[in-house]
Amino acid sequence: MKGKRFLMVVGVLFLALTVAALPFVGACAAKPAAGPTLKYGMSICVTGVAAEKGTPMAHGKLDCVKYINEELGGVNGYPIEAIWYDNAYDAARAAVIVKKIMDEGALFFTTNSSKMMSCSMEIANRDGFPGIASFSSPVCTNPPKHIYAQMPDYGDDWAAFANYYMENIWEGPGKPKMALHLLNNPTGYGARDAALCLADELGIELLPEEEHAADTISEMESMTRIKALEPDVLFISSTPAPTAVVIKNAYELGMYPGIVIGCAHASYTKALVDIAGADIVEGVYGVYGTVEWGDDVPGMAKMMAYCERYHPQDAENMDYMFSWAEALIGAEILRLALENCGYEAIAWGDAAAWECVEKNGIQKLDYDVLGLQSPVKYTPGDNRLAKSVRVFQIIDGTITAISDWIVAPRVPFEQYPDLFPWAVP
Amino acid sequence: MGLPCGTHNYTYDQDMAILRTKTHWALLIALLVLLFTFPLYGGGYWLSVANLIGITVIAAIGLNILLGYCGQLSIGHAGFIAVGAFTSAILTNVLGLPFLVGLIAAGLMAGFIGLIFGIPSLKVKGFYLAIATIAAQFIIIWVINHLEITGGFVGIAVPYASIGGLVFDSEASMFYLIMVIVVMCTFFAKNLARTRVGRAFVAIRDNDLAAKVMGINLFYYKLLAFFIGCFFAGIAGSLMAHWIGFMNAEQFSLMESILYIGMIIIGGLGTALGPILGVIFIRLMQQGMIFVAPTIEAAFPALPAGFATGIAPMLFGLIIILFLILEPRGIAHRWMLFKAAYRLWPFSY
Amino acid sequence: MAELLQYTVTGVTVGMVYALIGLSFALIWKSSGVANLALGGMVLIFSWFTYGMVVQIGLPYWIGLPLVIIFALAVGWLIERFALRPLIAQPILSLITVTLGVFYFLEGLAIFIWPWMVDALPRVFPPEPFHIGTAVVAQAYIWAAVVSLVLFGVLTLYFRYHKMGIAMRATADDQFAVQACGIPVTRIFSTSWMFACVVAAIAGVLISWIGGLHMGLVEVGLKSFSVVILGGLDSFIGCIVAGPIIGLAENVGGGYLTPLTWAGLKGVIPYIIIIIVLFIKPYGLFGEVRIERI
Repeated sequence: MKGKRFLMVVGVLFLALTVAALPFVGACAAKPAAGPTLKYGMSICVTGVAAEKGTPMAHGKLDCVKYINEELGGVNGYPIEAIWYDNAYDAARAAVIVKKIMDEGALFFTTNSSKMMSCSMEIANRDGFPGIASFSSPVCTNPPKHIYAQMPDYGDDWAAFANYYMENIWEGPGKPKMALHLLNNPTGYGARDAALCLADELGIELLPEEEHAADTISEMESMTRIKALEPDVLFISSTPAPTAVVIKNAYELGMYPGIVIGCAHASYTKALVDIAGADIVEGVYGVYGTVEWGDDVPGMAKMMAYCERYHPQDAENMDYMFSWAEALIGAEILRLALENCGYEAIAWGDAAAWECVEKNGIQKLDYDVLGLQSPVKYTPGDNRLAKSVRVFQIIDGTITAISDWIVAPRVPFEQYPDLFPWAVP
Repeated sequence: MGLPCGTHNYTYDQDMAILRTKTHWALLIALLVLLFTFPLYGGGYWLSVANLIGITVIAAIGLNILLGYCGQLSIGHAGFIAVGAFTSAILTNVLGLPFLVGLIAAGLMAGFIGLIFGIPSLKVKGFYLAIATIAAQFIIIWVINHLEITGGFVGIAVPYASIGGLVFDSEASMFYLIMVIVVMCTFFAKNLARTRVGRAFVAIRDNDLAAKVMGINLFYYKLLAFFIGCFFAGIAGSLMAHWIGFMNAEQFSLMESILYIGMIIIGGLGTALGPILGVIFIRLMQQGMIFVAPTIEAAFPALPAGFATGIAPMLFGLIIILFLILEPRGIAHRWMLFKAAYRLWPFSY
Repeated sequence: MAELLQYTVTGVTVGMVYALIGLSFALIWKSSGVANLALGGMVLIFSWFTYGMVVQIGLPYWIGLPLVIIFALAVGWLIERFALRPLIAQPILSLITVTLGVFYFLEGLAIFIWPWMVDALPRVFPPEPFHIGTAVVAQAYIWAAVVSLVLFGVLTLYFRYHKMGIAMRATADDQFAVQACGIPVTRIFSTSWMFACVVAAIAGVLISWIGGLHMGLVEVGLKSFSVVILGGLDSFIGCIVAGPIIGLAENVGGGYLTPLTWAGLKGVIPYIIIIIVLFIKPYGLFGEVRIERI
C-alpha cells in the first residue's frame, strides 16, 4: 500500500511537471539569435504517420538554414531564424501551428505535406499570410491566393509524364490506353483530376481508374481488371509501399515487363526499389522535381557536405535534397524582400510585412536554386513556383534521369467547374 | 450527491439547485467573466488553442453522454464529427444557406447517422458495439471520399460563419461563438443528467436488464443517447469546419476517435466536469508535443535522429498508461477528492 | 471465368493473412476478455525488430527469426506486467484505453529506433508466382496461409488439451472462480500476452515480406477486426473460416461490383460486412453466444 502511494505521488508529480513544463521548455530552449533576424516559419510532420518523409525534410531545411547562417552570414547579413513546429500530420495541430507561426512574426511559412497545407491554407489565406507548399496538391494553388507550390503537384506529374510518354515512348497509331492506379487521398486523385482535364488534348484514352489504400497488401483484384482492358501504360500516383505492391502484382500477372509503368514523385524513391526488388521494378519510369543525388550542379557539393556532417543517415534521400532546395528558395525570397522593402518594413512580421514579402519576394522570384531543382519563377495566374520536372527510369536498380527539365503545363481546372468546383475563384 | 458533512438542504429549491451557495455563484460568474474576456489578454495562438479546446469539448460532451452516462461504447466519434462538418460545409458552400441553418442541420444529420449506426446497440454491448462504431467511422469516411458533392478526395472549402450581418472572421469572434455554444452544451449536459432521460441513461449503463425490468424502453433510450451524442458531435464538426476553413476527410481518422475516448476517460467518465478537464489535459499535452521535437533538436543536435521524432508518441502513450494505472476514475475524481480534502483540512486523510 | 478464379485465389490467400493477425487478437480475447488495440503497434515493432536483426546486424534468418520470437515473448511479458496487471479489476474500458496507450508507445518506439520508417526485408521467396490454373499467387501468400493453418492447429490443440490452455479458457469465463481454485491468474495473463505477441510477430514478418515495412502495417491490424467479428471474437476456427470469407468478399465482391459502382469499393467491404454481421448474428459464426434474457 505504501509503495503504491509513493508511486502515485511520484507519478502525479511527474505528469504535472511534464504537462506544465513542456510549453515553457519550448519557449525557453528556442533561443532566438541575437539581434535582428528574418523569421522563417515551418510546419513539419516530424512525428506521426508521415514522419518518414517529414524527418529528412526537417533535417534538410534546418541544415540549409544552418549553412546560410554560418557560411554565408545570413541573408544580406541578417541571420535566418527558423521557427518550426511539429504538426504530427494532425489537422487540428496544423491549424493551430499556423496561428502560432503568424503570432511569432514569421514572414512566411512552409509545410511539407499537401494535407497539412490544406488544413493550414484557409487560415493563412484569410489573413494574407503567404505560404509555400513543398509537396502540393491542386487545391492548394487553385484558385491562386497566398499559397504557392515549390514543385509541380501530382496533377502536373501526370501531365509531364503523359507529355513525355506521347512524345518519346508511344509509337503506334491511334490513342494509347492508360490505366490509373491511385492512392485513396489527394495524392492519387490529383493525378486523376489532371488526367480528366488533359487526356483528350494529349490524345490518350483513359481507362476507368482503380484505387488502393496505403495499407494494401494485394492489388491482384484491381490489376486483373486492368489486365482485361489491355492497357498500354499504367500510371501509379501513390506512396512507395503500395506502389511496390501494385508493380509486384503486375509482374505476377505477367503484365510487366510489357506495359509501360510510370510513377508520380511521391512514390518514386529508393524505398520503392527496396520493397519491390530491383529486378521487378527495372524499367519503371517516374517523375521527380529535383536532380539526382550527386549530379554535377553548383548546389550539390555543399548540400552533400552538410548532410554527411550532420545527418549522414539521410544520404541519397531525395526528400532531404528537396527540402534543402526549399530553404534555398526561402532564403532567396527573404533576400528579394529585404532588397525591395528594407528590413524595417518586414521586421514586425505583420500583415504589411507579409504583403511585402509576397509581392516583392515570392512574386519576383527568378532563381535557379543552384541547379538542385527546376528553376523557380513566378508567373501571374499560376501559383506554382517551379513548373518543370525530370523523367527518371530505374536502370540496374538505381533511379537514373533520362530527360532534362520538362515543363508541366498548368492544368486548367477552372475550365471544368462541374468537375472541380473548388478551382473556381 | 457529495454534500459535505453537516450541510443539509432545507428547501426543495436548495435540493434541486446546481449552484447551492452564493460562493458557488460568485465563482461561476468570475470564471465566465474570465473566460469571455480571454481574447483581451490571450494572443492569437492561445486563442486558436482555446478555440480548438472549445470545439473538442462540445464533441467530448456528446461522447460523455453516450459513453459516460449511457454506457454505449462508441469509437467512431470522429466519423460523426465529420458528418457534421461536411453537412455544414455543403450547406454553406454549395447551397449558400446561412450558417445557423448549417449548424443545426449538421447536428441533426450527424444525430440521424448516429441513430442508424446505433441500432446494433440493441443486440450487442461492450466491445461488439465498439467495433460497429469503428466500422461506422470507416464507412462514413469512405462515403465522404467517394461522393462528388463533398468534394471527393480533394475536400471542400468552407466560408466564414456568419449570423445575420455579423461575420466571424477572426479567432476572437470565433472564440465568442464557440464559447457560447460550449456553455450552452455544458449546461444542457449537466441538466440532462438530472432529468428523467438522464436517469434512464444511467440506469441502462449500470444494469440494462434491471432497467428494462423497471419499464425503461431500452430501444428508445439507447437510440436517444446515440442521437444526442452525435448531435453534439455534429455541432462540433460544423464549428470545426468554419474554424479551419477547408475540410478533407483525411482530417478525421480512427486515431481521432480513439483520442476522444482517451479524453473522456482521463477526464472522468460520467461526470459533467470530466469532458472539460480531459479535453484540456490532452489538448495542452498535444500543444506541448509540438515543441518537443524542435526543442530536442535545438538543444541536443548531436542526438541520433530518431530521438526527437520517437519521443513524442512514446511520451503520449506513457502518460495515458500512467494515468489509467494511477487514477482510472479520471481527473474529475481527483478534483472531487481535492475539494473534499480542502474542506476537511487539516483533518483530511 | 479466368477472372473469377483469380479473384477467388487472391481472396482466399489474402484472407488467410488477415486470419493470422486475427488469431493474435482472438488469443487475448479468449484468455482475458481484453480487446487488444495495440495489435497494430505490436505488428509494427516486431517487423522492425526483424529488420534490425536481419539487415542491420546481418544475422541470417535462421538465427534472426528465433531471436524475434524471444523478443516477442519479452515484450508480451512486459506489456502485461506493466500496463495491464495494475488494471486487473478495472472496467473493460480502462483496459481497452491502456492498450491504446501501449499502441502509441510502441509506435513511438519503432520510430525512435528506426526513424526512416520505410524499408524492406531481404527477399526470401523467389518472385515467380505459383500458378493455379490460370490464376497466379505470390509464394509469400501460400506460405502465409500454411503458417496460419499451422498456428491455428497448434493454438486449438493447446487450448483444448494443455493444462495452461484450459486454465486460460477458465479465466476468460470467470476470473474470480479461477482465483478461488488457486490458479495464478497473473501468470495466465502473462502467457496469453506472450503468445499473442509471438503470433503478431509471425504475422508481421510475413506481411513485411509481402508488402514491405512501413507505417501501414498498423492499419492491416484493423482489417483483422472484420475477421474476428465475423468469426467470433473468441474463436480460432472462426478466424480461419472468416478470414477467407472476408478475403473473398473483398476480392470477388469488389472485383465484380467495382466497375459498376466506385473504384475503391474493396476498401469498405469489410466494414459493411461488420455492420451486417452485427445486425444478423452479433457474436459471429463461431463465437460464444452470450444469452441475456429476463
